[in-house]
Amino acid sequence: MSVNNRDPLVVGGVIGDVLERFTRSIDLRVTYGQREVTNGLDIRPSQIINKPRVEIGGEDLRNFYTLVMVDPDVPSPSNPHLREYLHWLVTDIPATTGTNFGNEIVSYESPRPTSGIHRLVLVLFRQLGRQTVYEPGWRPQFNTREFAALYNLGLPVAAVYFNCQRDNGCGGRRT
Amino acid sequence: MAAIPMATATPTDSMSRVWSMSSLKSSLPSAVTCRLPSPSSRRPILVSSPTPRLPSFSGLSPVNPLISTGLPGWQSFEDGFKIIDGGGRVYAMRHGRRVPKLNRPPDQRKALLRGLTTQLLKHGRIKTTRARASAMRKFVDKMITLAKDGSLHKRRQALGYIYEKQIVHALFAEVPDRYGERNGGYTRIIRTLPRRGDNAPMAYIELV
Repeated sequence: MSVNNRDPLVVGGVIGDVLERFTRSIDLRVTYGQREVTNGLDIRPSQIINKPRVEIGGEDLRNFYTLVMVDPDVPSPSNPHLREYLHWLVTDIPATTGTNFGNEIVSYESPRPTSGIHRLVLVLFRQLGRQTVYEPGWRPQFNTREFAALYNLGLPVAAVYFNCQRDNGCGGRRT
Repeated sequence: MAAIPMATATPTDSMSRVWSMSSLKSSLPSAVTCRLPSPSSRRPILVSSPTPRLPSFSGLSPVNPLISTGLPGWQSFEDGFKIIDGGGRVYAMRHGRRVPKLNRPPDQRKALLRGLTTQLLKHGRIKTTRARASAMRKFVDKMITLAKDGSLHKRRQALGYIYEKQIVHALFAEVPDRYGERNGGYTRIIRTLPRRGDNAPMAYIELV
């Protein structure tokens, strides 16, 4: 049960379920209100109603990045047949800036998990140039790997994930 | 179980128990790769993603990342890593300790574990105290092994343990696909921040 790599993305299962193993090269800072998102942080849906402030690193303003926010545990972590659900998609983010400067292709939808504890993953890809990324037709059954392959985004450059469960209890026992 | 220092050891002395902050700070990235190997074979995790300072951000926002993490008394990253540890109860030895008692009489203990396994199988991932999470591993694995067998007798045994019968039927339906090749180790425990009310060390336990 112990893993060889202590990277929290591997421990949390994000690398494997959503992404391939990659090397982190760009800083990614996600802030919901006053809380900065760190890997594995527990956040309630009431705190993530509005989109977060995302700031990315890098040096050259001519490089553009794409941010994807997915939930790989829909509708429930024990039965994720709708994996993954696309919550947010922003492209053409120049380096050293944030999502306000990008092109929001799929608008932010605040996660409302009904059952279980869902992981929400924010992935940053590097674009080859300013490209048109077409929005997928629907939000569920999104595949980050295929999306990256389709638009030649390659491996991610940064990723962070956090946990989210419903506000008031687990929904109780239903027989 | 050894007292484990927090995850990110230095890249060089991977076998030492004591790690120094200087090498940690030097290995934290400013814009480069962040692969931090660790010494032991246990399960410490990184508290936060390693972006303490972003030199290109001097203009944009005045928010100090260290203050906004919400953790009290943070002066630097040195304080943060001590939080997700053994919970102060980690000793070097386990001599003679056969069964985790969970501070309960046997009937309550069994009921607690039955409830926890039911909930884990229902939701896929739950958050509970570390002692309970590590105590319930055995029973979750047992249930999945029963489901792997699949016969009527095993199904009835599972029905006698899990509180909700739909979960048993769902389990018996999907376990062969999901865990067909995996031999054991169907759960994963991720330690997390302590509970606010009583500072109990918490953990997520999830089906692999």
